[in-house]
Amino acid sequence: MPACRRSGRFRFGFLMVLFTAMALLAPIAVQAAEDLESLVAELGAAPLPKKDEVVQRMIATGAPEVVTILEALVERDLYTRKSDEKVVIGRKASGGLMLLDPVTGEELGVVGSRDVSRVTTNNSLRSSVKASMGALTLMSPDPQRRLEAADGLLKSSDQTMLPLLEQALAKEQDAAVLNALQLAEASIKLQSESAEVRLSGVQALSDRTDPESRVMLSRLLLKDGDVWREPDENVRGAAEETLASMESRLRMWRTVEHLYQGISLGSVLLLAAMGLAITFGVMGVINMAHGEMVMLGAYTTFVIQEGFRSAAPELFGWSLAVALPAAFLVSALVGVAMERGCIRFLYGRPLETLLATWGISLILQQTVRSIFGPTNREVGSPEWMQGAMESVAGITLTYNRLYIILFSFCVLCAVLLVLKKTAFGLQMRAVTQNREMARAMGIPTGRVDAMTFGLGSGIAGIAGVALSQIDNVSPNLGQAYIVDSFMVVVFGGVGNLWGAFAGAMSLGVVNKLLEPWAGAVLGKILVLVAIILFIQKRPRGLFALRGRAVES
Amino acid sequence: MSLLQRLTAPQPQAPGKGRLASVILLTILAAIAILVPLLNLTQAPGSALHVPTYLVSLLGKYLCFAMLALSIDLIWGFCGILSLGHGAFFALGGYAMGMYLMRQIGDRGVYGNAELPDFMVFLNWKELPWYWYGFDLFPFAMVMALFVPGLLAFVFGWLAFRSRVSGVYLSIITQAMTYALMLAFFRNDMGFGGNNGLTDFKDLLGFDLQADTTRAALLAATCIALGGCYLLCRAIVASKLGRLIAAIRDDEPRVRFLGYRVENFKLFVFVLSAMIAGLAGALYVPQVGIINPGEFAPANSIEAVIWVAIGGRGTLYGAIAGGVLVNYAKTVLTGLIPEIWLFALGAMFIAVTLFFPKGLVGSLPGAIDWLKAKAGARSAATPTRPLAKEAGE
Amino acid sequence: MGKLTKWKGALAAAALGVAAMAGTGAAQAQDTIKVGVLHSLSGTMAISETTLKDVMLMLIEDQNKKGGVLGKKLEPVVVDPASDWPLFAEKARELISKEGVAVTFGCWTSVSRKSVLPVFEELNGMLFYPVQYEGEESSRNVFYTGAAPNQQAIPAVDYLLGAEGGEAKRIVLLGTDYVYPRTTNKILRSYLNAKGIADADIMENYTPFGHSDWQTIVAQVKEFASQGKKTAVVSTINGDANVPFYKELANQGIKAEDIPVVAFSVGEEELAGLDTGPLVGHLAAWNYFMSVDTPENAEFIKTWHAFIKDEKRVTNDPMEAHYIGFKMWVQAVEQAGTTDVDAVRQAMYGQKVKNLTGGTAVMNTNHHLSKPVLIGEILEDGQFEIVSATDDVVVGDAWSDFIPESAKLTADWTYPWVCGNCEKPRFAAQ
Repeated sequence: MPACRRSGRFRFGFLMVLFTAMALLAPIAVQAAEDLESLVAELGAAPLPKKDEVVQRMIATGAPEVVTILEALVERDLYTRKSDEKVVIGRKASGGLMLLDPVTGEELGVVGSRDVSRVTTNNSLRSSVKASMGALTLMSPDPQRRLEAADGLLKSSDQTMLPLLEQALAKEQDAAVLNALQLAEASIKLQSESAEVRLSGVQALSDRTDPESRVMLSRLLLKDGDVWREPDENVRGAAEETLASMESRLRMWRTVEHLYQGISLGSVLLLAAMGLAITFGVMGVINMAHGEMVMLGAYTTFVIQEGFRSAAPELFGWSLAVALPAAFLVSALVGVAMERGCIRFLYGRPLETLLATWGISLILQQTVRSIFGPTNREVGSPEWMQGAMESVAGITLTYNRLYIILFSFCVLCAVLLVLKKTAFGLQMRAVTQNREMARAMGIPTGRVDAMTFGLGSGIAGIAGVALSQIDNVSPNLGQAYIVDSFMVVVFGGVGNLWGAFAGAMSLGVVNKLLEPWAGAVLGKILVLVAIILFIQKRPRGLFALRGRAVES
Repeated sequence: MSLLQRLTAPQPQAPGKGRLASVILLTILAAIAILVPLLNLTQAPGSALHVPTYLVSLLGKYLCFAMLALSIDLIWGFCGILSLGHGAFFALGGYAMGMYLMRQIGDRGVYGNAELPDFMVFLNWKELPWYWYGFDLFPFAMVMALFVPGLLAFVFGWLAFRSRVSGVYLSIITQAMTYALMLAFFRNDMGFGGNNGLTDFKDLLGFDLQADTTRAALLAATCIALGGCYLLCRAIVASKLGRLIAAIRDDEPRVRFLGYRVENFKLFVFVLSAMIAGLAGALYVPQVGIINPGEFAPANSIEAVIWVAIGGRGTLYGAIAGGVLVNYAKTVLTGLIPEIWLFALGAMFIAVTLFFPKGLVGSLPGAIDWLKAKAGARSAATPTRPLAKEAGE
Repeated sequence: MGKLTKWKGALAAAALGVAAMAGTGAAQAQDTIKVGVLHSLSGTMAISETTLKDVMLMLIEDQNKKGGVLGKKLEPVVVDPASDWPLFAEKARELISKEGVAVTFGCWTSVSRKSVLPVFEELNGMLFYPVQYEGEESSRNVFYTGAAPNQQAIPAVDYLLGAEGGEAKRIVLLGTDYVYPRTTNKILRSYLNAKGIADADIMENYTPFGHSDWQTIVAQVKEFASQGKKTAVVSTINGDANVPFYKELANQGIKAEDIPVVAFSVGEEELAGLDTGPLVGHLAAWNYFMSVDTPENAEFIKTWHAFIKDEKRVTNDPMEAHYIGFKMWVQAVEQAGTTDVDAVRQAMYGQKVKNLTGGTAVMNTNHHLSKPVLIGEILEDGQFEIVSATDDVVVGDAWSDFIPESAKLTADWTYPWVCGNCEKPRFAAQ
């Protein structure tokens, strides 16, 4: 099988080189070509394992329509019409699928999705087709296409493609594509017959640390039984050396990566805990419904996104921007209602707020379950939050986490500003420090209480928007974060936002540094034990507030 | 005085009232211990007086929860320490009993291994870990059911009370403790059966666990244990030590300045309370037939605290009533209105905290007084009004 | 005197309480056949189990439209065990002793099944368990309508190792730390060893329930895959943890074509709560996919949408398991002419029901089904494209052949074996 595939590719690559050279080989191609129409029909009917062979034969025809057909196959847009078993290309259209004749491109009318069945593909077929198509789209004006082409070439490592690849390399402007092309070039060189070229391939990889190049180099060092895959000792030596230097460079970068992961976990904890730092830390309410405020925020995001999906799908990228204030409002309103309706009767009895808010949390959970159903709800990520920044060093910084880190810092700053620089913040601090005095000074303590609780809940709602990007949106969402949030607030020191910040970050980083070494569960247990022991040393947390108010 | 004011007004703890409640409670327990097994075993299933077996184990379960609530009330109601981790002690006691029951299975497990429990066999354990030694002996297991929770409470309390961790900080780190234990017991590598926990028990001291007589005996034993623990707690609370403990609850620094080693007293109560919880767990496991890490979940401990609050904190009998009542409500509601029972439960928690801050039992005397006062006012209405008028003129 | 009355009052109250509780125990007159539905409607498992409760209500309603069973209407008895394992046992007892149900459909997690098992055995009830599980069990009182490991895990790994699946040479076994992943991975490790894959090429990792921070582990998988051999991931990650796992996978740039992930706990229902774009091409192995094009399946989906009044709701494998189990039970009851558990059990053996995916499911004497195994790739719309299917139905194996202790055990509840875990028949064969 591999041999057969190889020969097909060879033939095809050969043809492509001639195409690009504008050689007059068309008559030969026609001569070799089978009837494309019948091949397409065969592609539709062939069982999965046989399809690859048909694809190779289609490519061998050299017909320009092949690219469209294969692209449709890879994109899963190729269908068989049930009425007459004809293989067609289907494009989404209003009312179902617009069918196109794969060879002529002629429109065959719109049908419902039940009238056609998709031509099955699987990972290995698509991967092989993409590899074969590499050459066809290498010069495409669309960078995305070129990137795919380069990836295809990386996989096929077709020797005959080297000249074409070098042409492309010379012209390429896009950094990502350039990077992929360089990788493909090295990969092709590594497969070369000549040891010298292979050695140059190894050297070309020496500055990189990405996983693909490490895969390529490690492959040279594999043994099949007693035979080295790489016969030349020099090349092996160079590969080993390059790998070793990659590893040593990586070691440092891995620590950076762990730190990044730790900070990202810390910022998630910070977001979840910040609202609690206000309701619990500042107001002394043991708010067991805090997790549900987070959940409400996440569900608000869901509702907003549903609205966008049905009303203005093209503006979907903005859905989170709308969701943020909406989630803040929803959670804050629920928070104010909770405070006015229940918690205000319980001031001075902090432990009893625990019981009442626990009851509220049960009710909120069940309410959401009744309205939205018990299953997860789909919250999408806008385009700009997907994917990752692949640094040259081979470490991955995912965008969604990056934005969440930035976002949590912004929220922290905003809350600090509100507390320190606004009249409301001043009143709030006054009320928490000395309620009687504040009232005597004419501060409407009841309203300040409600506003404070609303603020804390609203921040929890905002956290829900962020968490909806990385976690399930289900009625249980809040429960998952409540214990951690309390740990963060207590560890950092109740009543202090900086404490919450320091607590969240140190817990996140320590957890992530422990995880590769101890495993996820043991790491977390160790962190919990550390918190328990730490509280013995500093019974009021990392940043203890001093003064009279604390004692009561 | 409004009903609400009367309910929230401080109640002087009249010794007579506590004694009456104790008598009622012990009578009920004795009645359950004697009547329920009797009616279950002697009456034919069709008879109107027959108590079905499922009710026997259900009652047993409630009483175990009541015992857990009792232990929380001792430490929270009288010593002012809110532990959100008492479920951990309960579960540890349960695990000790579970390990004994597991060892009793012997070669009747599915793989027929006389030495290793089933879960160890399929996880490729070659020999019994050292911490399972001795659990084939009932007395040892029972000592462990008290000792392990006691030891954990001792270490934890010794550290925490000495460094004066108090209030919500203490509550939250007890929560951290039970959470950490839950994660640890979830690990299959720990050798406690992971998520599935210990189950498929066969017999206890040679008696078949599925036999009606064993269930009845277990219920009776639970009643006796609960009664015993109640009397012990009552005795402690009524003693000089009890007054000291209450003093610590009300003003810890002052007691310290009087020269008492506050942390030692707190530690004593904490350890005792943990041991009662452990005993409750040990009795719970054979009656429900399973012990698993879910029992360590922080939510369970919080719920147990809520039972105490609902029943009435600082009364001991209130905690018992709360434990039974809430769990009975849960049983009924999950069957009656399975889709919305959480609304009912949640509303109950909120209502009790808002309107009966002293708990149902704690509010009972207030409510009775209020009713009496109302009745009294009505009967005395005719003479008083003219008098008041007179005074006004 | 006051004291005495209070005494009497207390006693009377106690007696009344006991009597009231006992009174509820009396069974009502039998003009319907009661069917117990024991699925969590709250707590962590509600997310998966609530749907199954709805399916049962739909199936029962449907059967009643057809005239019920044995001329009697079926009456569903729904209770909520609230994802609390001891509560499962309590509710099971309540269903059997107090409600007097003829059969119970329920449970999802292994621990819930283990918790109710002694109850069903003691009271001789009948439970239909609809979820894929780790095997290593065959109870006289339970019918297992979900997949055993040999009906899901082994065919999936075969696919990965084969040419179509990309001829993987290194396997990562990722799972949630509980008994199903542990056992499945134990079976798979021994199977992979037998297929010539050394232990050094197998990575095994366990995470707690609801694990949401996958950064480290996905990075480790990437690292493991960068050793030059084609790598594939076999995931037994449970429910909630899947969403963050796949999100992390996609964001770290792992594509299905490079490192395919085949999952045993990810179905249409799980994908419905997920932005599936980045998951396209990853795999799942099940006995049922909603996308299978058969008239039976189309009918089932139509009925489901009509019942739940939501066109967007999906169907999944455990739902089909309940469908098959329920149909089989109805047939067995009709055949036995009674709902008596012992008679129905005997009638169950060899009972046949048409699968929704084509072919016929058969109940074997080890209480497991023979079902086809399908492997699907995730599509953009949260459905699956079937890329491989077994030629014939696979017989569910209660005791795995790849675990030495269990390979020697046999489950067969007919004469002369009459045993769930025996090395030799209980009775001498004639």
